Amino acid sequence: MSVAGRLVDSVTAPDWLLTPVTERDRERRRILALCLPFAVLAVVAGAYPLAEVARISVSTETYESVGFTLAAYETLFTDPYYRGVAVNTLWFAAGTTVTAVGLAVPLAHALEKYDLPASDLLVTLVSFPISLPGIVAAFMVLVLVGNSGLVTSVVAAFSTAGPLDVAFGTTTRGLFLAYLYSMIPRATLILRGAYAEVDDCPEEAAQSLGATPFQTFRYVTLPAIRPAITGALVLTFRTALAIFGTLLVIQSLVVWTLQISRELGPGYNLRVAGAMAVAYFVFAFAFTALALRYTEAEVGL
Amino acid sequence: MLVATVAFLILPVVYTFAGSFATRMTGVVPQGFVTLENWRVVLGLADTIGSQRSMGWTTLFELPLGGRALGVQVPAELAFSVALALGGVAINLVVGVPIAYAVARYDFPGKEWVDAFSVLPLVPGVVLGVAFLRAYPNLSATSFGLIVGYSLLKAPFMVMAVRSEFESMDLRRLEESARSLGASWPRTFLTVVVPQARSGILAGAIICWTLAAAEFNFSYIVYAKGTQPLALFLQRHISNSAFPQAAAAVSLFFCIVVAVTVALQRLGNRGFDAIGGD
Repeated sequence: MSVAGRLVDSVTAPDWLLTPVTERDRERRRILALCLPFAVLAVVAGAYPLAEVARISVSTETYESVGFTLAAYETLFTDPYYRGVAVNTLWFAAGTTVTAVGLAVPLAHALEKYDLPASDLLVTLVSFPISLPGIVAAFMVLVLVGNSGLVTSVVAAFSTAGPLDVAFGTTTRGLFLAYLYSMIPRATLILRGAYAEVDDCPEEAAQSLGATPFQTFRYVTLPAIRPAITGALVLTFRTALAIFGTLLVIQSLVVWTLQISRELGPGYNLRVAGAMAVAYFVFAFAFTALALRYTEAEVGL
Repeated sequence: MLVATVAFLILPVVYTFAGSFATRMTGVVPQGFVTLENWRVVLGLADTIGSQRSMGWTTLFELPLGGRALGVQVPAELAFSVALALGGVAINLVVGVPIAYAVARYDFPGKEWVDAFSVLPLVPGVVLGVAFLRAYPNLSATSFGLIVGYSLLKAPFMVMAVRSEFESMDLRRLEESARSLGASWPRTFLTVVVPQARSGILAGAIICWTLAAAEFNFSYIVYAKGTQPLALFLQRHISNSAFPQAAAAVSLFFCIVVAVTVALQRLGNRGFDAIGGD
């Protein structure tokens, strides 16, 4: 509390804070005290470092924050290489997001709507990859379709092609699978939550009135879970943008996060790395704010 | 469809675990079962040519045993990661539990914003790593820097787990009963409210711990030298080791995740929450 106390003393605190009279004053003080630790962490570990990185991105020197130049941003916006990286990032994230959510809808539907045998086990199995870091997701794809992967070996054994002709773990297609490996379980988890809240009665009514299962899904279930699908798309897209470890193992496509780490390699271009970090943050923040504002996404996250 | 997707997610896990006990993994079926050599190499128990790839061992503490001190040895990187992640969880408890209570219990102006900011992972690990390099050049590669970074990155999971627990309780009545019996507000919060939410708090702590122990992106950017966090140890094996050894390193991590999942299910928690990128 000493830091907080000094902070409070240094600014002229309103009366309700120091000498609360009413219960309402005390409550306001409690709310402040409850939020303070998080605010301190957010400023020390989040806001201040981000401000410093924004400062260095417009600095004229690499190691010191001095002067002002937009050269790093000019590079990002005019250099065709960086434009290419940005395009890669967006289409790849969008493509994997749509695929992951597309697969997660039937998966969540099956898990929540039908009495599957061992459904608890299935849920655990599908959730398991959520706690695996991206590097492990990449390794899992190499285990399946890498040069000596399981699927590679099986296909090669039953055809005339050699394993190296069959393997595609280290290609862009392999990277696509590795993204899906991280994203499908996350998308499924969000949608399962939504399915659990859907009222069963309208579906049963539709079925008893002669609707086919597909018609029931199209006209009854889908409208009910549409907000959750939007929410899953938003969150899965954000996950896709943040993927990095996977790319270090399967370097078949240069996207924004991988390029940021490359800027910090030989050459140590901290200003451009800083500008890329700022651009990423602004984009992710604006995207989230817009998505939450203008969609019916029931994520509340 | 369902079967194919589940197979896609789980088959490589099973195959990797099995492969970690094989000597060779070429062809359809791994060969040379059953050997513990890969695990011994990965854990640093066997002499290897590339010994720097294996886990070093360090003396955690010494037991005085019959006049001679018996050193209790632990794998250095595992112990280091466990400690770093625990540090992150400690900070998360201090910052996460109070703010979750504020949002669950009180109405105040700007509550939606506080709510959104406390559960949205706004900064991904890579970006935060770059920011730490710049803001704290002397701290960023230290254990302290890693702990603070982990705690910010994983804070949303703690807040969500604890908040949902708080929301299932009648907080107003609980608080008023305690107050009417004469407890001060801080005492009410610390000795009545917090203990009531212990299963949510414990679940949040376990989730934060696992995710911090596995955090790769941030660690990779800020890490400088010395003992490596577990995620970097995994990456080192995945990138450099022969397949069975990499399989053993990854399987070691599977074991941790399985242990944590079992612990979470004991608590009645439905598992990991869905957001958070890697």
